[in-house]
Amino acid sequence: MKFSTNWLRDLVPSLAIPPRELMRLITMKTAECEGVEEFAPWLAQVCVARVLETEAIEGTHNVKALIDAGPTFGRKTVVCGAPNCRPGLLTAYVPAGVSVSGKEVKLARISGIESDGMLASGEELGINRDQEGIVELAAGEPGAPLPGLSPDSVIEVDNKSLNHRPDLWGHFGMAREIAAITGLDLRDPVDMASIPKAGGAWHVDIRDRELCPRYSALVFENVKVEPSPLWLQARLEAAGLKPISNVVDVTNFVMAELAQPLHAFDAGKLHGDTIIVRRAAEGESFDALNGETYTLAANHLVIADSSGPVALGGVIGGAHSAISESTTRIVLESANFQAAGIRKTSSQLRLRTDASMRFEKAQDPVNTVRGLARAAELLARIIPGIRIVGGLVDQWFPAPPPEPIELPLEWVVRKLGRSIEAEHVQAILESLEFGVKLRKPGVFMVTVPSWRATKDITIKDDLLEEIGRIVGYDTVPPSAPLQPVHRPWINRERIFHHEVRQMCAAQGFTESSNYSFISDEMALRFGFSPEEHLRVANPISVDQALMRRSLLPGIHHNIIDNLRNYDSFRLFEIGNEIHPRSGGALPDEIPHLMAAICSRDGGAAALYELKRLAACLMPGCEAWPAGARPYEHPARSAELRWRGASLGRIFELHPDLVENARAAIFDLDLRALFELGVPPKKYTPLRRYPTSAFDVSVVAGLRVLCADIGALIRQGAGEYCLSVEYLYSYKGKPLAHDQQSLTYRVTVGANDRTLTSDEVQAVRDRTIAALAAQGLSLR
Amino acid sequence: MIETTLSDLEARAVSLLGQAPDAAALESARVEFLGRKGSLASISKEMAKLTPAERAAAGKRLNAIKERLESLYEQRKAAFARAALDARLAAEWLDLTIPPPGVLPGSLHPLSQIQKELEDLFTSMGFAVVDGPEVETEWHNFDALNIPSTHPARDAQDTFWLTDGHVLRTHTSPVQVRAMEKFGAPLRIIAPGRVFRNEEVDASHEHTFYQLEGMMVDRDVSIGHMLYFMRTLLAAIFHREVTVRLRPGFFPFVEPGFELDIQCLICGGSGCAVCKQSGWVELLPCGLVHPNVLRSGGIDPDEWNGFAFGLGLTRLVMMRYGIDDIRHLQSGDLRFLSQF
Ligand SMILES: [Zn+2]
Repeated sequence: MKFSTNWLRDLVPSLAIPPRELMRLITMKTAECEGVEEFAPWLAQVCVARVLETEAIEGTHNVKALIDAGPTFGRKTVVCGAPNCRPGLLTAYVPAGVSVSGKEVKLARISGIESDGMLASGEELGINRDQEGIVELAAGEPGAPLPGLSPDSVIEVDNKSLNHRPDLWGHFGMAREIAAITGLDLRDPVDMASIPKAGGAWHVDIRDRELCPRYSALVFENVKVEPSPLWLQARLEAAGLKPISNVVDVTNFVMAELAQPLHAFDAGKLHGDTIIVRRAAEGESFDALNGETYTLAANHLVIADSSGPVALGGVIGGAHSAISESTTRIVLESANFQAAGIRKTSSQLRLRTDASMRFEKAQDPVNTVRGLARAAELLARIIPGIRIVGGLVDQWFPAPPPEPIELPLEWVVRKLGRSIEAEHVQAILESLEFGVKLRKPGVFMVTVPSWRATKDITIKDDLLEEIGRIVGYDTVPPSAPLQPVHRPWINRERIFHHEVRQMCAAQGFTESSNYSFISDEMALRFGFSPEEHLRVANPISVDQALMRRSLLPGIHHNIIDNLRNYDSFRLFEIGNEIHPRSGGALPDEIPHLMAAICSRDGGAAALYELKRLAACLMPGCEAWPAGARPYEHPARSAELRWRGASLGRIFELHPDLVENARAAIFDLDLRALFELGVPPKKYTPLRRYPTSAFDVSVVAGLRVLCADIGALIRQGAGEYCLSVEYLYSYKGKPLAHDQQSLTYRVTVGANDRTLTSDEVQAVRDRTIAALAAQGLSLR
Repeated sequence: MIETTLSDLEARAVSLLGQAPDAAALESARVEFLGRKGSLASISKEMAKLTPAERAAAGKRLNAIKERLESLYEQRKAAFARAALDARLAAEWLDLTIPPPGVLPGSLHPLSQIQKELEDLFTSMGFAVVDGPEVETEWHNFDALNIPSTHPARDAQDTFWLTDGHVLRTHTSPVQVRAMEKFGAPLRIIAPGRVFRNEEVDASHEHTFYQLEGMMVDRDVSIGHMLYFMRTLLAAIFHREVTVRLRPGFFPFVEPGFELDIQCLICGGSGCAVCKQSGWVELLPCGLVHPNVLRSGGIDPDEWNGFAFGLGLTRLVMMRYGIDDIRHLQSGDLRFLSQF
């Protein structure tokens, strides 16, 4: 929302604060300002000039004009290309050396003639969009500033910070704030006497009082549609609105001033003399002012005449009843619409207008007639001969007035965190036009003004904000709360995740973070079914349409990307897998760890490195062969088990998924691991008697599992066996090509004595016998 | 006669022991003179033939010689040992500029690091660290936070909707409600986590980023208390006192609502490109919890109240490290990640 400081000064006449300081005050007390923009600063140097003589310049469209630019500049010769440059015309003169819209006007030779300055169009001056010819002034003294036009400073306020303030969508609302902040007087631009006391010349039939609590209108005749005076056009330009014609400009002016959107119908194009406010028929068609045709639904509100919709209530007017140059009678609508209804309509039709933006903030129904009064006065000023037919047309279903809010002073002090006098509280609230009565000592009853009562202010907490912001939050001293301390609940699972991260980093893995989104194509590539994923209804793009059920697509992406810069690397991610649940329940979000080792020249070692990481997290965990999944190397995948539970997988990525490199992956269900917990630690007394050890080298087939032989040895060794440790394996001569030898160290001992060499030998013999029973021999 | 023999022997022994070129020669010299069958031992035997007076004088002389030779031997033996050790040590020279074998530690994502840091800080101030789901119900993400479907504030949060009607949480604020449901009052929590906005990605916009929600509910919590916590928080984050200002800000789930700005750390408040010449940087939306939100969490607003705030972790990480492109954070690019 753009606020013209000239406009604000009209409403707070003694305002003398420079724009930048004003902006700071508004930011600190009311709403966030984004900046100050200078509007047409050159108007300070542009003056009125009278064209004295013109002379066509042969071979061009230009004329050589002699002008009177007043006592300072005197007579000047300028070359002008505008078709309306004619003797007697009062227009705008830009002296040489003045910059307009970033371009400096220079003494120049044009068509062979010395041109000293420039006669300017409205568009060149930035005061309207007229580029047909130079400015035509109705009055003015040569050499004097352009009447009614002066440079302006425009303060831009962030719209988001005005969402809760319907009244600040017009200059008057902001002027009221400024008056309250500065203590200056506010001037109300509305004179209710502008509306004649007479019966209405039109009828209104509101058929949905929920969606339209109030509809007011005035009928005007003897209207002459033409461009607005320049001062009015310039005001609209400064506020960021486009000047169109006097009638439309007045509706926009009132909207920008009072936050009350108006709409003017060409009365000659309305059928009958009754405005009907009703819900649209399902599928009803509506041709809007913007040239679009909309198909409406039953929750949309239309303004209709006897033949059909003439406006989409509170959003946009209709094409057929729009104001044109031939319009002579108008019906000027000033209505109030329910915010929620407007918001729904405007978002369903994807049609946001200056009107809908204001109505969806919940405008004040009291304001409709004020808007009409202001418009009537302006129209009378700029359209000579215009007449109001009859008086006010108005149908209103007022909501019950809001209850006064009880406000204990002691509560204000407690919540604010600083002391404040009752008189001060009262003065602040009254400066914002709240009604304040003392109900009993220390307790106010506060009445909310209508423009703050639609939604903005309903409870005492809302009043606290009014007091706090005007008194200034910088006056509140920070203070430590004197509350009993409670030992906080400890989020052990989150701490556990941080520990896992540290462990991964210590093992050389760098942490990555990937999006929660994947594409259908990506899902299919890994053999996942897209249907088993949660789907985004409004994705940014098709490749971000599904919620990941595995961290693998993201990690795979990281692998491919980083192979461009590195030949080998380790990375990991901790993130949520998102698994849909039935019955409308929220999905199951399962935190997983996925770690990867990728290398261009890598062999199988990476898988064992990952197994080391797994062992760091789950001491003694086991990897057992498991059927490979589509994205896994079919001969290199295993399931990880720990404490009886299956918690994850270690595998090499299928070569189809990564070219010229190998990637080993470790996937771990962190929730299951966390829930399993760490077994309690228990002290075992240190062994008092020495142990003995012997090595066995077992010859076995190539695919006999190391863990299986280890288990066999332990079983065979029996009661004195303390540990079986795998040492190394060997392939090659003299073994057969389909055989390997695996060497283990068996440690034996007894708790109460040192085993004799015969006893150790007996263990060894038992072990060998057990292996032999399975067809395994020693090397 | 014996005196002459002893003197000759002494001269010869001193010469051999003193000039032995290596430890082996020294040792054989020792055996020759000082050994059990060495020269001194033989002379000692021969001395039995002398008169007691002669024997006493010769014995004294012999002992002196023996002591001298032993001392010389020990001295030279130690010298040889030191030389041998010196030679060994010199031969064991190592180039310690060679990098260590094996992999070096990796690094943690800057967002994880800052989360951990803030979790520790708040835990020390009595706050619990709470998690909430990334996929939320519409009620928790909006309605419970005083943002009904008709509220224009919903426009400000470009929401990802799922086909099952749930939303990807647009902020960490729904955790306020979940925490109230779980713990009741009094309550001090923070909730760091991932949030989503349906926004095109460019150097300064991401659809996936991180926030930290904070909330304290107790009796008679004031704006002054909130300011105290915010200042403590910011001093801990930036490792120095920061100048703050509080101004009105509109968020439906707080009343009153604030924007907390910090004085620009780059220019110190005089104005620069980072603060858009204003001298201030918007950092921390906050406010007193709206009574409707307390009610949503099952807490009686007449008895309890509190403050809440939201901290943009992604923004904070970018400020701390001077990261100029938000997209790096979710890129998985090790050239970026390995810097932290
Ligand atoms: Zn700065």
